[in-house]
Amino acid sequence: MSKMADYEGPILEIDRLSISFFTRLREIPAVMDFSVRVMPGEAVGLVGESGCGKSTVALGVMQDLGKNGKVVGGSIKFKGRDLSEMSEEELRDVRGNEIAMIYQEPMASLNPAMKIGKQLMEVPMIHEGVSKEEAYSRALEVVTDVRLPDPERMLNSYPHQLSGGQQQRIVIAMALMSKPALLILDEPTTALDVTVEAAVVELVKDLGKKYGTSMLFISHNLGLVLETCDRLCVMYSGEAVERGSIEDVFDDMQHPYTQALFRSIPLPGADKNARPLVAIPGNFPLPHERPPGCNFGPRCDYFEEGRCDAQDIPMVNVHGFERHSTRCLKSEEIDWNAPITVGEQKEKAPIGEVVLKMDNLKKYYEVAANALFGGGETKVVKANETLSFEAHESETLAIVGESGCGKSTFAKVLMGLETATEGKILLDGGEIQDTAIQARDTKTVADVQMVFQNPFDTLNPSMTVGRQIMRALEIFGIGENEAGRRKRMLELLDLVKLPRAFADRMPRQLSGGQKQRVGIARAFAGGARIVVADEPVSALDVSVQAAVTDLLMEIQREEKTTLLFISHDLSIVRYLSDRVMVMYLGHVVEMGTTDQVFSPPYHPYTEALLSAVPIADTSVEKEHIVLEGDIPSAMNPPPGCPFQTRCRWKSEVPGGLCEKEVPPVRMLEGEHQVKCHLADDILARMTPVIKIAAE
Amino acid sequence: MEPLTWTGSFGSIIDPVFQLVGLLFIVAVAAQFIGAYVFAPINDEVHVDGTITRDRGANAIIGTAVRSLLLALCALAAIYIVAGVFAPIGKVGIIGAVAKQFAPVWIALVATFLLSISYKRRLGLYGKLFDSTVGMIGYALLMFWVYTALFVGVFDMIAVNDPLTQLSGMKNKLPGTPLRSVEEGQYAYYLLGGDNLARDVFSRMVHGSVVVILIAPLATLFAFMVGITLGLPAGYLGGKLDTFLSFLANLVLAFPVILLFYLLVTPEIVATGIPNYMAMILFVFPIIFFAVLLNSRFYTRPHLRNPLLAGVMLVMIWTYLCAISAEGTVINILPPTLDLFDIDSGILVVFVSVVFVNSPTVFRIVRGLVLDIHTRDYVAAAQTRGEGKWYIMLWEMLPNARGPLIVDFCLRIGYTTILLGTLGFFGLGLESESPNWGNTINDGRKLLAIYPHPALVPALSLLSLVLGLNLLADGLREESLRD
Ligand SMILES: Nc1ncnc2c1ncn2[C@@H]1O[C@H](COP(=O)(O)OP(=O)(O)O)[C@@H](O)[C@H]1O
Ligand code: SF4
Ligand code: SF4
Ligand SMILES: [Mg+2]
Repeated sequence: MSKMADYEGPILEIDRLSISFFTRLREIPAVMDFSVRVMPGEAVGLVGESGCGKSTVALGVMQDLGKNGKVVGGSIKFKGRDLSEMSEEELRDVRGNEIAMIYQEPMASLNPAMKIGKQLMEVPMIHEGVSKEEAYSRALEVVTDVRLPDPERMLNSYPHQLSGGQQQRIVIAMALMSKPALLILDEPTTALDVTVEAAVVELVKDLGKKYGTSMLFISHNLGLVLETCDRLCVMYSGEAVERGSIEDVFDDMQHPYTQALFRSIPLPGADKNARPLVAIPGNFPLPHERPPGCNFGPRCDYFEEGRCDAQDIPMVNVHGFERHSTRCLKSEEIDWNAPITVGEQKEKAPIGEVVLKMDNLKKYYEVAANALFGGGETKVVKANETLSFEAHESETLAIVGESGCGKSTFAKVLMGLETATEGKILLDGGEIQDTAIQARDTKTVADVQMVFQNPFDTLNPSMTVGRQIMRALEIFGIGENEAGRRKRMLELLDLVKLPRAFADRMPRQLSGGQKQRVGIARAFAGGARIVVADEPVSALDVSVQAAVTDLLMEIQREEKTTLLFISHDLSIVRYLSDRVMVMYLGHVVEMGTTDQVFSPPYHPYTEALLSAVPIADTSVEKEHIVLEGDIPSAMNPPPGCPFQTRCRWKSEVPGGLCEKEVPPVRMLEGEHQVKCHLADDILARMTPVIKIAAE
Repeated sequence: MEPLTWTGSFGSIIDPVFQLVGLLFIVAVAAQFIGAYVFAPINDEVHVDGTITRDRGANAIIGTAVRSLLLALCALAAIYIVAGVFAPIGKVGIIGAVAKQFAPVWIALVATFLLSISYKRRLGLYGKLFDSTVGMIGYALLMFWVYTALFVGVFDMIAVNDPLTQLSGMKNKLPGTPLRSVEEGQYAYYLLGGDNLARDVFSRMVHGSVVVILIAPLATLFAFMVGITLGLPAGYLGGKLDTFLSFLANLVLAFPVILLFYLLVTPEIVATGIPNYMAMILFVFPIIFFAVLLNSRFYTRPHLRNPLLAGVMLVMIWTYLCAISAEGTVINILPPTLDLFDIDSGILVVFVSVVFVNSPTVFRIVRGLVLDIHTRDYVAAAQTRGEGKWYIMLWEMLPNARGPLIVDFCLRIGYTTILLGTLGFFGLGLESESPNWGNTINDGRKLLAIYPHPALVPALSLLSLVLGLNLLADGLREESLRD
């Protein structure tokens, strides 16, 4: 089967597209009046919060809207031909051959029961009818292209034998097998770790250039879009609100939502006092509860009654720009360069006494080497290796690292869900490392609490919000009776800025951010003094992240809480923490104050992490450090330095020491500690990873 | 008196219509089946203005025909029923007379549906049931029998004769046969005929429903209690306990159940008291379940917990003692004055069997659900607040496993109903006089070739009830998966 004839105009042209889902109760307009154009070789980013309709657009292009989804208006033209006018066969051909899609979850696109090689070879064999040998050589070529080590072995393995990053590379390879003209990527890296994400993004960029593929890159992360795309379309609540080239939109934004979005994300380059986070007030409207007029109206700073809510707002071209349009009536009137009006800045409470002290904490797990028959040989997984630190009252200590580095194990040991293998945990001077949670007294339990990552999981779906908070109060022995506890519960709702009426709601009636607030209220129910926040905002939308972060910091100020903030997002860590601890494979590789960690000298891993953070700022220049390979498994750590398999500085250490000996902890200036063999003069040579270009 | 015909004089007009429509319906269904291969598929087209047209291809037309014919059939059936309820006995024949006897059930059903449908948006999962046709049909079938059992058991309505009385000359008589001599206040017909002991098949059938509707859900509930009480800790605590219980469950599942039943009713075994001991163990589970349930929830509030737990336990333990102790058996601990009731040994066998057969499967389902829910953050949150194991299992996990469990409960009542029938068929369980459907089918079996009606009537009843439960389970599953 041949490709469609070469075509000069835009590869993809979506014109005033509207898509609705029809449910029993109502029609849900998921996308309205949406237009975008993708030229040959161009990468267009589609940015917006979850539920704004990005994926629906992608599925619309694939003509795969399911039983209840319908295109109710507009057209989607691929290489000038309207997709809705194609027959089933033509569509199937276009889908397999000319448009490829990559999903967030790599396993969704892979057949778990089939070897990688076979899955890859099927593509050209079915669509182009090529011979087996040719298909194999093509498969080998793309697998090499996506920079997987040992391509031949890869082709011979099953998907579950690969790591998440490798699986996603295979999916990309599969998409490239048919040399498509258009590649749609729907949040392709959300499920991956930052350093792996950086490598995949790099790969996608290079491949786009090499194959000349046009791309539609869907993401909620502005930084990623900046790094991958030429043009950008910002969506809000089913509509495109601003469209233009990356430079135009990032530097001369013309829509209040875009502006608010930028103001609500922390930029590692910027000073946190000069540029505080500004949360977008309110919540994202549900598709059937959209306001009249401008969808963004209720949350817009520039909202004008009688005007913004009186009419449908059309998409208009911005004067003085090429191909830059916005859906705002007042874009010409707003002074886009006005400085941010900073709300009243509250002083941070002074850092107090040591509350928590970890001394050489170790946690090893014994696992059966052979999963099928327990017994026999066991292996030791060193989840935490000699962890030592102190945390003070009112202090925020960030714990940074990628999945599998031992953050969660550390939290479990601290909470008492597991007991330590060795070492000490001192809470107010008392040792608690060997006391499991059942054996701890109520006060200790209430003192150390946790905020969880996944807002959809953190609350029990079958209990009202109020009940759940009251249960925590009950367990912590607070309040004389039901009435007393109910009163306290309502106060806690006030504390996390939720309306009191929420007490009687079920969790499913709350948005993600609201659930997370309830989770925070629950953690503070017993007057917690140490709160472990495990990626508390990473699963939330950008526009609510800032609000929840601010809330945490505000409560911390008032309650003098010690916050242990676990995260992989260095931007937010830099924004809110006093001290940072970087972990890799169970080891603390670097620890120091925020400034010490974020400026050279770095530990080589910290340096790579910093470089991997996507930054949504065109004036920032980053040094590109792409880490090869994946994080080694904790079951099978490399000998010597844990980071040696991926370290780019290894050659600077004489005598192959990195591969032989675990480096000792070294004290640099101040309390800055680094676990690395690099000599002082080499450390001193390091340059900052993130530079702000001179204006 | 003349024997009744099936549809009486009313039928002479409407029967041909019914037959015609039925025939057309069969033809249409066949056409639909073939058409799916022959004609182009139905195609929806959406226009720019937001309207959708569905093209009127051959398949669409056939589809419409099938639907309208089905509706017509239902309407005709309704006409029989309505006519039967309002016309005097005999005018609409046997069908009319039976429909008339069921009048209270019809009223209750219509009221239930009207109320439920008008408030369906406020009724949670139950309300959603009324969005699924399959679910509604299943629910209607189930409620038909529930209301029948209610009106028969509590108000002594519907049945026309005593289920145990034998009337001379009515042996194996065909449906609609009039009584030889009608006494004052006696119903003049055996509507669905007489069985080989000259008892009224119709009355036995409706009386049988009481036994089924009462025992099947209760016995299933016990099986669930056992399965849940063991499945929760197996899934949550894991380790040796899990290995042991899972092994036990597999062992029981591998046991030839029929053999067990026979053993249980063998006089020698009964004399050793084994069924009683088994019941003793079995009936403890609800007590453990509720004690742990209440204690784990309220231990932080002793003022509430102590009286509550004491009250509930007192009632439950007394009931328990009454249930297990019976005069003349090995366990006779309660003095007769305090022993409020004895459980018939046949019912005991039924309970033991049902629990034995079902609880291992329930155990496995619960264990699987728990393993899944275990990874949720709200469970971790409960752990980090220092909640007890049983609180987490019973209050954090169990309520969130309820969806699949409710569906399974419906299906399992169906199995139990069949099991009851099977037990009855083998002459196990309930006493042989009892009008329950299994026994009746067994009695009727001997003369099946000559007089099918005594066995057919309870068999069809059993079928419709189990079908209803299965459809209901399907509907619930479908609806709980949506949105
Ligand atoms: N199959 C569906 N049925 C009903 N509503 C849907 C369906 N798929 C998506 N939606 C709704 O459409 C809107 C847009 O969803 P989506 O395109 O997935 O957003 P995004 O990809 O930006 O997160 C959401 O409000 C979502 O609830
Ligand atoms: S139209 Fe009005 S409400 Fe909407 S974004 Fe512009 S200023 Fe804000
Ligand atoms: S010890 Fe060696 S391998 Fe490890 S981080 Fe330092 S330079 Fe790299
Ligand atoms: Mg999406």
